[in-house]
Amino acid sequence: MENCKEDYKIQSFDLETQNLLKTALKEPSTVDLEKVSNVIVDQSLKDQVFSKEAGRICYTIVQAEAKHNNGNVFRRNLLNRLQQEFVAREDTRLRSLQEWVCFVTFICNVFDYLKVNNMPMVALVHPVFDCMLRLAQPDSLNNEEEVDCLVLQLHRIGDQLEKMDGQKMDELFYLLRDGFLLQEGLSSMARLLLLEILEFRAGGWMLSDTAQKYYYSEVTD
Amino acid sequence: MSFRHKSRRTDADYNGDENRNRGPLKRYNYWKRVADGSMRSNEDMDSTSDLKKSNVNHRRTDIRPVSEGPVPRCMDWEREVETDEMCSSVCCDMQRYRRRTLATEFGPREQKNSSGSSDSRDSPVPGEVMEEDEEVLMRRQKQITYGKNTLAYDRYIKEVPKHLRQPGVHPKTPNKFKKYSRRSWDQQIKLWKVKIHAWDPPSPGGQYEVDLDDVMDIELDFPELDSDSSAQPPKVSKASSSQAVSSLSSLGIFEGNY
Repeated sequence: MENCKEDYKIQSFDLETQNLLKTALKEPSTVDLEKVSNVIVDQSLKDQVFSKEAGRICYTIVQAEAKHNNGNVFRRNLLNRLQQEFVAREDTRLRSLQEWVCFVTFICNVFDYLKVNNMPMVALVHPVFDCMLRLAQPDSLNNEEEVDCLVLQLHRIGDQLEKMDGQKMDELFYLLRDGFLLQEGLSSMARLLLLEILEFRAGGWMLSDTAQKYYYSEVTD
Repeated sequence: MSFRHKSRRTDADYNGDENRNRGPLKRYNYWKRVADGSMRSNEDMDSTSDLKKSNVNHRRTDIRPVSEGPVPRCMDWEREVETDEMCSSVCCDMQRYRRRTLATEFGPREQKNSSGSSDSRDSPVPGEVMEEDEEVLMRRQKQITYGKNTLAYDRYIKEVPKHLRQPGVHPKTPNKFKKYSRRSWDQQIKLWKVKIHAWDPPSPGGQYEVDLDDVMDIELDFPELDSDSSAQPPKVSKASSSQAVSSLSSLGIFEGNY
């Protein structure tokens, strides 16, 4: 796989680990898949670029393992790690905002890519929603980093999440409207991001042409 | 629009910090420049409908609480995913089986390998009631999966392609959609697994060994449509076990699909 690096964004790993990952993709039964999943999870929590696309490499390894020997060691360990990190998310957020944001990005990416019979993993639906709801809390809305993460994930997986639990999505958007309208001290950037996501969802998870023009074209002063 | 298409589009907009530099939200640059004062005044916003104002006031006391604390929704994500996976594959199987039922009922010419009415392949007897209880199907599927997740089964399917299977000689997966009593089904599974053992990888000691303990004290039970378990079936002793296996096959217990 010559374009392996670009596809899976593994440039940030050291060479030894890169080789480990490449082998895992081709011959999963020859490597310690538990170790591989830990390597991927650990890196996802540190590296924002990687966390945005780590789901894809996870999916490929899961498929490869299932095809080679019908195993699911990798997926089992990945989900266990994700679950552990999820349980500890409040502490993570207090310790490091960046790690928290990376975690949310990663779990949403896994939700996006790791499908089961072409359906999203039901087990991840509520955890992902819990993360979104947390990001919609007043203290998080005050951090542009967290608002940015929230809207990015909603752009990527909002429609899928809504299909899995529309009521929860409604609950989330009540919070977002409240935040947009009432939260004092919200930065203009945060308000812009929130307004855009409100319009995005209202438009059926896409922007109208005019809204697209408003938010995405260059403004001449 | 498919999910993939949508996410590709949004990925292009949002993928990575490099896009941030190109400014997907172009308005941001404008806002940054005017952030210090020349934004639209609040008066403009307030001049919109009274309805909005009253909603705002109402909302102020109506902030929704969200569940506190990192509480996991379920015990084990992986177990939940595995169960879901089995559930949806059972559903797929059921749809496929139903389609075959319809094909049998309404168009024998639609069957691919029809060899007459005595073909006990997958096609069910038209009008036959099929097992639809989800709990039962899941349990049966789990038993089948355990049997198939073996080296012996792997070797078996590699050695004998399905179209070359001889009924009675080659093990055939019990058909989970047919109505059987619990006991009948469990025995079919047991016997099926015993037959698969014939393809066990050779042990250091000897050749292909069938573990005769598996066939000890098999209670013969004929396929039933109801769960009548009051009948006393004859017991089979160890000595005639191998005979029992082949004679059971000839009884046609192993109907069903792979």
